[in-house]
Order: sequence, then structure tokens, then C-alpha cells
Amino acid sequence: MGFLVDAERCIGCHACEMACKNEYQSEPNVRWRKVYPINETEYSLPERNHLSLACNHCEKPECLRVCPVRAYTKREDGIVIHDQGRCIGCKMCAMACPYEVPQYNVRLKKMEKCNLCDGRLDQGLKTACEAACPVEALSVIDFNGFTKYGFVIALPGFPDPSITKPTTRFIKPRIGAQVRRDQ
Amino acid sequence: MLKKERITRHVCPRNCYDTCAILAQVRNGRIVNITGDPAHGYTRGKLCAKGYSYLRRVYSPDRIKQPLRQCGRGSGHWVPVSWDYALEMICQKILDLKHRYGSTLPVCLNKYSGNFGLLNNAIEGLFNQLGPTTQVLGSPCWSAGLDAQTFDFGNNYNSNPENLRKAGLILLWGVNPVWTAVHSLPYIYEAQKEGAKVITIDPIFSETAKKSDLYFQVRPGQDGYLALALAKIIVEAEKEDKQFLQNYSLGWDEFREYLKSLNLNKLSRECGLNQQAIKFLAGLLINHSPVFIWVGFGMQRYANGGQNVRAIDALGALTGNLGKAGGGVHYANLRIWNMFKFNFHKTGYKNRYLNINRFAEELNQLQEPPVKMLWIANRNLFLQDANLRLLYQAIKEIELIITIEEFMTESTKYSDLVLPTTTFFEETDVVPGYWHHWLALNEQAVPPLHEARSDLDIALMVSCKMNSLEQGSCTFPQSGDASSFLDREFDDQAYSLLGIRHWSDLKDSPAKVNIPDVCWEDRIFETPSGKFEFYSQRAEQAGHPLMPALKEQRKPAAGKYDLRLLSPHSQHSINSQFQNLDWIKAIKPEPAVLIHPDTALLKSIVSGSMVRILNDYGEIVLKAAVSGAVPRDVLVCYQGIGDLNINRLLSGENTDMGSIVTGNHGLAILDTFVDIENQTD
Repeated sequence: MGFLVDAERCIGCHACEMACKNEYQSEPNVRWRKVYPINETEYSLPERNHLSLACNHCEKPECLRVCPVRAYTKREDGIVIHDQGRCIGCKMCAMACPYEVPQYNVRLKKMEKCNLCDGRLDQGLKTACEAACPVEALSVIDFNGFTKYGFVIALPGFPDPSITKPTTRFIKPRIGAQVRRDQ
Repeated sequence: MLKKERITRHVCPRNCYDTCAILAQVRNGRIVNITGDPAHGYTRGKLCAKGYSYLRRVYSPDRIKQPLRQCGRGSGHWVPVSWDYALEMICQKILDLKHRYGSTLPVCLNKYSGNFGLLNNAIEGLFNQLGPTTQVLGSPCWSAGLDAQTFDFGNNYNSNPENLRKAGLILLWGVNPVWTAVHSLPYIYEAQKEGAKVITIDPIFSETAKKSDLYFQVRPGQDGYLALALAKIIVEAEKEDKQFLQNYSLGWDEFREYLKSLNLNKLSRECGLNQQAIKFLAGLLINHSPVFIWVGFGMQRYANGGQNVRAIDALGALTGNLGKAGGGVHYANLRIWNMFKFNFHKTGYKNRYLNINRFAEELNQLQEPPVKMLWIANRNLFLQDANLRLLYQAIKEIELIITIEEFMTESTKYSDLVLPTTTFFEETDVVPGYWHHWLALNEQAVPPLHEARSDLDIALMVSCKMNSLEQGSCTFPQSGDASSFLDREFDDQAYSLLGIRHWSDLKDSPAKVNIPDVCWEDRIFETPSGKFEFYSQRAEQAGHPLMPALKEQRKPAAGKYDLRLLSPHSQHSINSQFQNLDWIKAIKPEPAVLIHPDTALLKSIVSGSMVRILNDYGEIVLKAAVSGAVPRDVLVCYQGIGDLNINRLLSGENTDMGSIVTGNHGLAILDTFVDIENQTD
């Protein structure tokens, strides 16, 4: 299982990120999902693109490999779960993750991250972010069953996917035409 | 033991297109989660990022918890007082002024759009029952466009915006729904899927422009010239809708002659787009149908604001798009508000009205009697008004300034007394919107937090106190609650439009209001002639040209302040609201002024430079962000940069129109000219 981010539909509105915070009433500076603005220079035109990213639930999760207390597990369906009960807040995972996913909770002195709304998924609900997206730009796909093509494994602004093999997939944005002022 | 849990229905009362319906999950007397309400046919169970942050607002430790008195205005020395003490202070002052001046005119209310709940107008109702008072009239925002459409169509109606999905071509003209109306995007996407083209016309390459098939960069405030150029080309190609023009329009011959007399070279120069581009766009307008034109609140915030909108209306009319499902020129809808009679609002007194957009100037000039008490409600006056320097002057002579607020703001700094008010989760109300065709209810999810009171309760309490001090000094009700007030507001006509028996039925679901899905479908307009008026006697009577004609645009003084400063709405705030919430702070970019790379080079500015923006009215210092999204002669600083207070730079110039619908002309916010200097020099 992994997220599919449709950058063509995404409007960078942050509703996904805030719905996630609302669902888990998380600390102000703990961001399980983040909407990143992509630098204008990444595209040929002054585009203002965004990437909405949470945990990439990697095939080879570095967080899981480096955690000294085995707070991380990977479920059979691919979800990488962080167990805050085992976590000692050593931040090894934060250093290892190329995507800066694990977040440090200053109050609890522990790490935390997106568990792909495992509780909601198990109840047959959509993830909070997917349910909140006003333009249906976010979804969770099952890699065993997917038949749609046209996905890419990275977009400008996304770190090298070869290190940990993220399961996040993207649909590329189309670039519209622009007519600028003569004077 | 089972936890006590229930779901309550709500609706966001902010000054926003979407007026979203919300569900709150309440457990043991506390709201634990909110989601969109799927029963709302337009917002369909989704909220925006601001909406999802609401619980941080309700349960913020920064809420004002009890009435506060500031000992020495601006001192920051706040002393908690009881409600009774606060009410006594207010009412004694009103009575004292009344006796000193022989009238209640020294008592002044400045209220605007911080909360669009119906009953949040209660403070105005209270003022209207004290005697003749001084109040502000008008709107800093949408006035010019409202008048323009009133001249052309006779009223301010829109089609149900769900009709966007039926459009063949969508012109998003001076509107940025990706930031300010996210719920419209699914309908726009649906239209795109069916083959519609989406075009954004904006001086700034906005987020909405990015999601469009085509973007046209127009010179700021010159949108009307583009509309006239398009009209001229279409008429020259004889592609106008002759049947519509013949049967349903007034003054077409005159308008056609007027178009003929216009020079395309000049129009092209004025709007900033070359003729080839304009002809291409005209071709799209000819070859696609229906054309849905969404006129945003952007291009009307100029000296030519109303004329810009009239020119676009004319374009929509001559292409035959009015009254079509998926077509039309849409600006705002007053039909939902007009369902209500605002009974508690009525007054038998002759109030003295000040222009909301010249508040400071008029306050300074008032004599006989001057204003001695100012009450600020639903507004962050000292952040959102223009000509602030003059305002600071004007308040010196005012003996008591009262502000109703949820949080300490720029305006509470200048207040003597601050009254804590409820969030919409703590009160019962309905919120009429101005875009979609739905009405939803706010149930009270939790009792008022701390000692907060709703605007209605405050009005009731003041009335009680007034009468206990001097019997008969206030005729606003002294008892009642939201329910009894709503009972009086909903009449049979409203119920039949809503298809419900009682307003409390809205607890089961928001209701679609039974108003025409497509506005002007019968092509019967509410103008004096009953037709679409290219040629409007009413406009002439109000001192405007008969037909849309743009004046020479306001220009900067030679060699000084030669950059135009645009300050559109930001993504994560509604005017000054939401910026104080920690969740919003975490996602909100640092305040910055956007500057074109060429201009930045000229001024030795790079991204991250601290720059000073200044003109004769004031200055602000903030970071620069170099961006190709803005034109060379324009700086962009989005609203909601907090205490930096961009309004310090506003002159307070007014728009051309606005007095017919809102009582006064609007604020030409975007006619602001500045210089920029690198602060690190």
C-alpha cells in the first residue's frame, strides 16, 4: 500500500495536512504530512507547484533498519508502523530517513510519523488526508491490484527514490500555456 | 461506562465564498474532531486547511477568557473585570454622553464582516435601539462590482456555481479560487474533463493560473480594456448573439457604435496584451459555449473598478451567455441574504452614517456632536482599515473604545475595554452565504467557554443594564435567546424557499435554497427597462458614464512611488483571521513581498533581502522573494502578514462605484503605489 499523489489535480491547499492534524490533534510543529512548495526554478516556467508528502512507506525503510529498539515494523500490506510505546526518542530514524518523515514530539520526547491511518484503514475508512482532499488528488493504492499507468516514482523536489524505494507514486502536472504582458 | 458522544452540525461564518458545512464530534462536553458535512451539496464533506484548524481556535489558550479593561490605552496593562463591571462602564458612558450632548450620536459602531452569522448582527440591532447613533456604512470589499451588476442586470444574482461543470469555457477573471474557494475546483475539473478550457486572467501568475489551461497576464486594473477589446473583435467578426441583443438588451446600437469608435491598438496597449493574444482569446470565446465568467473581487478594487465589471458584463451579454446553464457573468449572490428581513435590526431613529472607507477622515471632521465612544465588532479595525495614521489621530478624543473579540489583536491594543466572545461552536445561528445556494445551521456544540458571550447575548445584557440604569433608554429586547430570534427571522416565505417546516430542521441537513439554478434564465432583468442595459440611465444618474467607459487610470507621481503594490487575499487567512493559530503558523510561509527578477536586479535585491516598502502613508519592512509570477512594475504582498500591517501603506482612495448597493463606494486597495529599498544597504 502506498500514497498516490496526483500533482495535476493537487492545488497545494494543505487541507490534507490539516485534516491529518485534526484527526490526531497533533502538536503544532509535528507534521506527519507536509505540503511542500516546489522551487520555481524546478520547472521551466515560474510554476508554483506543490508536493503533498507523508511517510513514503518504503520498500526498504531506513527508519526500520536503524531503529535500535525495533519501534518500527512493516505490515504485510506494506504499511510501515511506528510504535511510540517502544520508541526512546533517539532520533536515529529521523537522521536515516531521506524524506525527513519521522518527527520529534518535544512534549513526549518521542518520535512519531504517519502510520497510513492504519486504524481507519482497518475499519474500511479512507485515510484522513484522502478523505479531506477537496480535489481527489490523494489516494491510497494497493500495488498488488493497480492497473492504471502513467505513474512516476519521483517529481522535481523529491529526493532520490533509489535509496529506500518509497511506495509513493505521482501523476505529473500538465503545464498550461501563458501569455505574458507586452509592457 | 459508555462515553457520551454526539455529532453537531455547523457552518463556517467567515467572509468567504464557500461557507462550508461542518460536523463536530462532541465527547463529554468537548469537541474532539471536526469534518466536513457530506450532506451539504456544494461543499460535499470537505473543508479547507483553515477549516481543519478550527479546534485550535476554540481551545486556544490565547482566547480572551473574561472582560478586560486596559488601564491606559496602549499600555498593555490589562485588568480582568466582571461582566457586570464592564456593562456598567459601557452603559454609564452611553448615558453620560446622552446627557452631555443631548443625543446618543456620540456613540459610534464600526462593524464589518468578521462573522457572517445572522445573529452576529445583534450589536447593530442594539445600536439601532439606543437612539440615533453614529455607524459606518458600506464595505471595503465588493461594493464597486455590486453596483456595476446592478446597473447592468438590475440585481446581484448568480447561478448555482455547480453549473461550472456545464461550461464549455471558464474564465476565472481576477479570482484565485485555488486559494479562496477550494470547493469550486471539483466542478471546474469536471468541466475540464468534459473538454472545457479553463482560462485565468490576472496580473499575477496565481495558483489558479497554474491550474488553468491558459493564463493571460493583464495590466492591473485594466481588465475593462481587455473586455472591450474582446467585445470589439467579436462584433467585428459578427459573432455577437443578435437574437439576444435584439430582444433582451437596451442600448446595443449605442454600445456597438461605442465599440467601433474604440481603437484596438490603444485597448491592447492599455490592457498590456498584444493583439494576437487578444484575438486568440476572442476566438476561444466565439468557439466555445457556454462561457462561464467568474468575476473575482480583484479587478474592482481600483478607481475604475465598477467600469471593469460593467465591461465584462457587456462581453458576457453580447456573446449571448447570460441566462445559460454553465454560462453567465458571476460576481456575487445576494439572494440568500435577502431571504431574511433582519427584523431585530430595524430602527426608527435617524442614524448618522459614516463612510466605512473614509472612517478616520470623517471621524476627524465630525462636530455637533463629535464621537466620544467607539464600539468595534466583527472587525480588526486597526489592521484592516485604510489611512491608519489619521485613525490613530482620530481616536485620541474618544473617551471609551470597546472591542468584542476572541483574541487579543492589533485593535484591542487601542481599546479600553475588551469583551470576550464565543466561537461559532458555542452559539446557535445560521449563516447566509454569497456564492453557493445552500443554507446551514450552527448548533451549539458546547456551552460558551470561559466567560465568553455571543454577540446576541452581549446585546441582550447591555439592553438589560441600560434599562436598569435608566428605564426606557434602550428598546432592544432584554430577554430571549438565539432560538427566539431565529423564530422571528424565518417567515413562511423563507421556509418555502428552504423546503423545511422550522429552522431547527436544518439540524438534520443543510438545505438547498429554492432559487433559480440559472440566473436570468428567462432573460427578464431587474433593470428599469427589464433588459440587460449596455446603456444605463441609472448609472448616469449616479454620476457614471452611460456605458462602460474607463477613465485614465490612477498613476504614480512622476519618479516617485512607481511600483504598484497588490495585496490580494492570502492562502491561509481570511483578512486578519487565522494567523494567530499555531497550526496555521506552522504552514504559513514567512511574510514576504514578491518582486520580479528584473526589478529586483535593478534595486539590488535578492530573495531573502530585508526590504523597506514605503510611500507617503507609511512603511513596512519585510523579506523579499524574487518571483517570475509577478509583473515588473508590481510588488505583491499577500494580506495576512500580521502585525507588519500592510494597510499602513493604503491611502484610502475609493472606487468609482458602490454607493447604490452598499451605501458608499468601495476601497481602491489595489491603487497603492510604493517604492522599495534594500534595507541592508
